[in-house]
Amino acid sequence: MFRTALFRSARQAVRAAPRCQTAIARPVVPRSLFQQKQIAPAAYFQAVRCYSASAGLSKDEVEGRIMDLLKNFDKVTDTSKLNSASHFHNDLGLDSLDTVEVVMAIEEEFSIEIPDKEADAIHSVKQAVDYIVAQPDGEDAPAPH
Amino acid sequence: MASTNPALRYQVLRIYKELLFMGRDYPLGYEYYRTRLHKAFFSQRGIDDPEKIKAGIKRAEFVKKEIEALYFLKRYRTLRKRYNQS
Repeated sequence: MFRTALFRSARQAVRAAPRCQTAIARPVVPRSLFQQKQIAPAAYFQAVRCYSASAGLSKDEVEGRIMDLLKNFDKVTDTSKLNSASHFHNDLGLDSLDTVEVVMAIEEEFSIEIPDKEADAIHSVKQAVDYIVAQPDGEDAPAPH
Repeated sequence: MASTNPALRYQVLRIYKELLFMGRDYPLGYEYYRTRLHKAFFSQRGIDDPEKIKAGIKRAEFVKKEIEALYFLKRYRTLRKRYNQS
């Protein structure tokens, strides 16, 4: 009884082993039409966003990321005043040098470079969000020709 | 600060940014560097005279070179220590 069970499980393991192997190292030549169908389901590509796709950044996402960034900024002591409309100087008590630091952090967060003139015009969370959304990656970006 | 020459203002902010960027690898840590840098710039906020601001920018450039030199020296010392170990 025990011996037959052992034998059966061993045979099953042997049968299972090559199946595992094919899953890991896929043969270049598909062995059968059935298997090929199994490997590439049609919905597989929908989860991937192409780099060329537009409207990658929604306004809410941008706002959330900027808020998180400001929350972690140690000069912002009063987080209760932090909302989407707060002004860096009036509400959060940051001076112009801190604003430069915040803008630098935003540049890094979104992997962009903000020119000096535009960076100087950003004084509030709302302005920063509007600027990021107007960028080529954002939602409100002008359509490419 | 907004009342002064905007061109100079951009220059000051740019050098501030550059200095901040250079402080990333400061031996005593970025936080230490950042607070010091902020204090140094903040202490000069009352300056209105364009000539004095220009002098301040020159000083900032000088400090930037010093920090660069500090990094090179640190690298040199580290390498020398490693090579002389054996």
